[in-house]
Amino acid sequence: MSDVAMKQVFSQRRRRKYRNWLVSYAMVMPAIFFLILFTLYPMANLIQISLFRGSAANAYKSYIGLKNYEQLLFVRTDFWNSLKQTGIYTAVIVLLVLGLSVVFAVWMQDNRKLNSIAQTVFFTPHLVASISCAFIFQWLLSKESSGLFNTVLRAFGLPSWNWLGETSTAMGCIIFMNTWKSIGYYALIILSSLKSIPLEIYEAARLDSSTKMRTFWKITLPMLSPQLFMLLITITTGSFKVFDSVRIMTEGGPGNSTQMLCLYIYEYAFKRNNSLGMASAAGVLLMVVLLLITLLDFGSLEKKVHYQ
Amino acid sequence: MAEIEFKKVTKAFGSNKVIEDLDLTIQDGKFTVLVGASGCGKTTLLRMIAGIGPATSGQVLMDGKDITDLDPAKRDIAMVFQNYAIYPTMSVKENIEFGLKNRKVPKEEREKLIKEYAEVVGLSAYLDRKPGTLSGGQRQRIALARAMVKRPKVFLMDEPLSNLDAKLRVAMRTELIEMHNRMQTTFIYVTHDQVEAMAMADVIVLMDKGKIMQEASPEVIYRDPNNVYTAQFIGTPPMNVIALDDDKVGFRPEKIVLADRKLDNMPFAREGVVLTREMLGSETQYKVQMGADTIMVKTPNDSYKYEDKVVMNVAAEDLYFFDAAGERIRRGDVSNYDEYVRRVGG
Ligand SMILES: Nc1ncnc2c1ncn2[C@@H]1O[C@H](COP(=O)(O)OP(=O)(O)OP(=O)(O)O)[C@@H](O)[C@H]1O
Ligand SMILES: [Mg+2]
Repeated sequence: MSDVAMKQVFSQRRRRKYRNWLVSYAMVMPAIFFLILFTLYPMANLIQISLFRGSAANAYKSYIGLKNYEQLLFVRTDFWNSLKQTGIYTAVIVLLVLGLSVVFAVWMQDNRKLNSIAQTVFFTPHLVASISCAFIFQWLLSKESSGLFNTVLRAFGLPSWNWLGETSTAMGCIIFMNTWKSIGYYALIILSSLKSIPLEIYEAARLDSSTKMRTFWKITLPMLSPQLFMLLITITTGSFKVFDSVRIMTEGGPGNSTQMLCLYIYEYAFKRNNSLGMASAAGVLLMVVLLLITLLDFGSLEKKVHYQ
Repeated sequence: MAEIEFKKVTKAFGSNKVIEDLDLTIQDGKFTVLVGASGCGKTTLLRMIAGIGPATSGQVLMDGKDITDLDPAKRDIAMVFQNYAIYPTMSVKENIEFGLKNRKVPKEEREKLIKEYAEVVGLSAYLDRKPGTLSGGQRQRIALARAMVKRPKVFLMDEPLSNLDAKLRVAMRTELIEMHNRMQTTFIYVTHDQVEAMAMADVIVLMDKGKIMQEASPEVIYRDPNNVYTAQFIGTPPMNVIALDDDKVGFRPEKIVLADRKLDNMPFAREGVVLTREMLGSETQYKVQMGADTIMVKTPNDSYKYEDKVVMNVAAEDLYFFDAAGERIRRGDVSNYDEYVRRVGG
């Protein structure tokens, strides 16, 4: 082949490669565009605002460097309290929701008629807006004698209880409501992967003299691990960002006992003067905490997850 | 050691009766092979023995004891599933070990057994691998090892060699026969490959649509079939069966003597034209057009060519008569057996 021809082939090849490169980038462009517009830009903005003292009307009133972070982490105690409450809430929700979802899924596994009814019943709360659920529960738990819980108590001759107004029960009520609301949805996800486990594996286990319990721990649970891991991450991040139910049911009270992080951020951003920067700083810290938890999950648990 | 007996067993899925009123005894210590076309109920039968697909009605006995509803764990039966059913989340070693652990076999003994049986199936190098990273044949061998290591009274195998290559299959076949000779336990082996059945079985149980067509040793199945189905299931190519007035007559391709004329003492002698000729080496296989029928012939005689006229001769003892329903008519079943032989001559 002559030198010229060779060069031509190469340049043709290069042009084709360039065109491929261009097409592939054009394909991902829309996604990247929206990622920048709705995720990266607000994030950068948030970090920027967290370095200022200002309000919603004028976010960049005065530059104060890392003062907001210093305030949150070393001066005030309410941020730590809020982080602690959110942490407790998340830990309980994760254990409760994951555990109960698995239990319900296992329970609904057989193709009985009752189970299709149960599935619908469990799933329905997921369809109701979280705000409505919060209102319903506020009514159910109302300290007035009209509240369902107190009506039941009275029927047994017990004194009424201010469920949402007492430090000892407020958090429990929020956990109860959110668990009730989400369990059907997660149980359904787990149910679908339960049903994808071939029956022969269970039959083989029965022939291998495995007890029901052992089969569950040694076979079912490992087979579910990819879904459980995925749910662990989504439930953790989701619960850390709990807002609407708390906002309606307790508004963070009584005292600071249900002051979740997002409620904290909301109050600093919109209810106090010149503390938007502080709210932003708290937002950044929330992001960092979630990132750390997720990394920790991946680091410690992913090895145990069995991918097909 | 165990004998399995089915008594009037029926198995239905909904309204679909897959097996109906089945009576069958599987002898203790024998290598029994269940053969039959796909969907005839072989797996269903094994599952009833294992206790994982209970009979709809009737009884399954093991050594005379009713086990129809006994928990599979208490049966001392191991099964190799048709689609392996190995535990995907466990390593090869854990797969083999699972049943031993459940039965509380001490650790040293477990290690010894695992090593021994991993060797037998040739998986020693893969003990720490997950099944997902192994080939179909290797997975099948995990299932084999997992069943063998239990050293059960009854060993059920549902097409355990179907995914192995020809060489490995022959090797494993020999291994299984040796294992059976060593263990002297009851083996029940399912296949739809008649060659495998003939090669391995002490007793063949041939099934069709949930019914047992014949239960006998390979020799008897081949030489003395009870019905047209059995006659045509065993043998390559299968037995030729043609109409004989209202009845049928059959003869094996390898029992036909080809000649240019009718031979002496051969009651069956009919003329045909060679359609195809396949040289198999020591033997030649012809397809011959004879009236409306095509007849397969397998013979050492390779002298005939395409479109040659030949006369196919069959001796009286190589002729099998069947009634219209396909049941065998033997000498002794009828008073006029010689009449049948004479009618064949045409
Ligand atoms: N769980 C089930 N539900 C409904 N019908 C079934 C079920 N299992 C098997 N059958 C039916 O029972 C019949 C026998 O099935 P079986 O699995 O015993 O066949 P087989 O002889 O093992 O076939 P193969 O050689 O293809 O494995 C088939 O017609 C099948 O459709
Ligand atoms: Mg089968």
